[in-house]
Amino acid sequence: MIRELKFLLSLWKTNLASVMEYRVAFLSQSIGMILNDGVYFIVWIIFFDRFKDVRGWQLGDMFLVFGVSASAFGLAGILFGNAFNLGDIIVNGRLDYYLSLPRPTLLHVLASRIVPSGFGDFLYGFISYMASGQFSLGGLGRFVLAVVLATTVFVAFLIIVQSLSFWTGTGGTFTGMAINAMVTFALYPITLFDNAAKFLLFTLVPAAFMGAVPAGFVHASSWSLLGQMALAAVGFLALSILLFQMGLRRYESGSAIQVEV
Amino acid sequence: MKKYFAVFQINLLNTLAYPAELVTRSGMILIFMWVFFQLWRVTFAASGSNSLNGLTLHDTIWYLLLAETLELGRPRVSRTISDQVKDGSIAYLLNKPYQFLLYELNNGLGESLPRMAMLFVVGGALVWVMAGPPPNLLNWPLAILALAGAWLLHFCTGALIGLAAFVAEEVSPFEWIYQKFVFILGGMLIPIDFYPGWLQAIARILPFSYMMYGPARLFVEPNLQLFIQILLGQAIWLLVLGGSLGLAFSRGMRRLAINGG
Repeated sequence: MIRELKFLLSLWKTNLASVMEYRVAFLSQSIGMILNDGVYFIVWIIFFDRFKDVRGWQLGDMFLVFGVSASAFGLAGILFGNAFNLGDIIVNGRLDYYLSLPRPTLLHVLASRIVPSGFGDFLYGFISYMASGQFSLGGLGRFVLAVVLATTVFVAFLIIVQSLSFWTGTGGTFTGMAINAMVTFALYPITLFDNAAKFLLFTLVPAAFMGAVPAGFVHASSWSLLGQMALAAVGFLALSILLFQMGLRRYESGSAIQVEV
Repeated sequence: MKKYFAVFQINLLNTLAYPAELVTRSGMILIFMWVFFQLWRVTFAASGSNSLNGLTLHDTIWYLLLAETLELGRPRVSRTISDQVKDGSIAYLLNKPYQFLLYELNNGLGESLPRMAMLFVVGGALVWVMAGPPPNLLNWPLAILALAGAWLLHFCTGALIGLAAFVAEEVSPFEWIYQKFVFILGGMLIPIDFYPGWLQAIARILPFSYMMYGPARLFVEPNLQLFIQILLGQAIWLLVLGGSLGLAFSRGMRRLAINGG
């Protein structure tokens, strides 16, 4: 376990060194993403300025939900950048490289890429939290914990969706739809949806664990919400690993000779 | 013009050659329209009024459908051009007997038309079920003309961002922020009519409202005066953006260095 953790840390260090090689691009993407998130949030400021309340949700709640979701999205890109294009890697036979090395395949492939704009999303989440008017030291601790658990659910969801590529043989479009669904549902007030839709948001597209539930936990410390998030994180992660391993047995490649740089 | 029509035709056939991909991609609009409907249904119910600033729930949802169709269906020309600039493949297009920008315009149109048609059909079917039948067929010609103007404005802005790759290392942040300005000042997520007066005044001066709000508003409420106003605005901004594009292209060509092949 410690050996794998050391391996993971070396991968992250290498990834960080590689993005730092192109500092201007890294900085422009990170700052650009912070601006992008900030400008996008203006929509909600305009909306709540006019309509004040959506079934009990107000602007402060949106700041929180947006903060947790943006940081979780960013952290997934920073630590496990290949989670966003695992499907393409599978379909294009690029798992060969990872399979030939004596390291856990899934962990290795996920952590082998960094999304530079992820830093922008990650930082914006904290800005959004501080702007929510609910900042406190205890709250900050809960925010960090909530982001870690939301990231786990999000990465697990990405693995599950893209492991389907082992069976379907296609990647991109469906993955794009799944990511869009997860992020869209996470960023809207959960009170909009009826019970059937809520059930889907806790199971099939677990966006509630990326937005509403962690935001609720940051808002008010609750063992029940923490338990729900921890259970979801462990459950979805276990399912994702299982599905990936099952899919790996069906993996075929063209034995293409490739060099991973 | 024949050669440009051929470019358009090739891309049209290319996009139509993969109908399953076309339909799957259009599935994204279902997620967005369903969420929009939930949000505005609750908002209209809470306001206790059937009409807000002259728009009913039915109008708002059909307005958003047209806006979303344009947003999801417009070509990502900035990405295409910036990639060509960065990897040098633009050199292979410049020595061909056509004008590069007209080539890209027809390229984008051939891809965009079937995508937009499919998005409208798929999204429209859901909106019809949720919010009722589409606006009167007599409304459509004015909206389609304004849609064509909006598409050209998007093309000019996208191409300008793509050509920025001649001077900037990374153009994605420009594209993100441009998209968010379209979201807000273009009235893509909230019709501009719901904004405070001062913001409406700003939005109506800038090009973004002619890229999104204009055609979507004409679709739900055809009005000759509004039509003339939108067409005039589009013509002015096409001159400004088209002129800037021509200038940026000729400057970019002067900076271009082709080394070997």
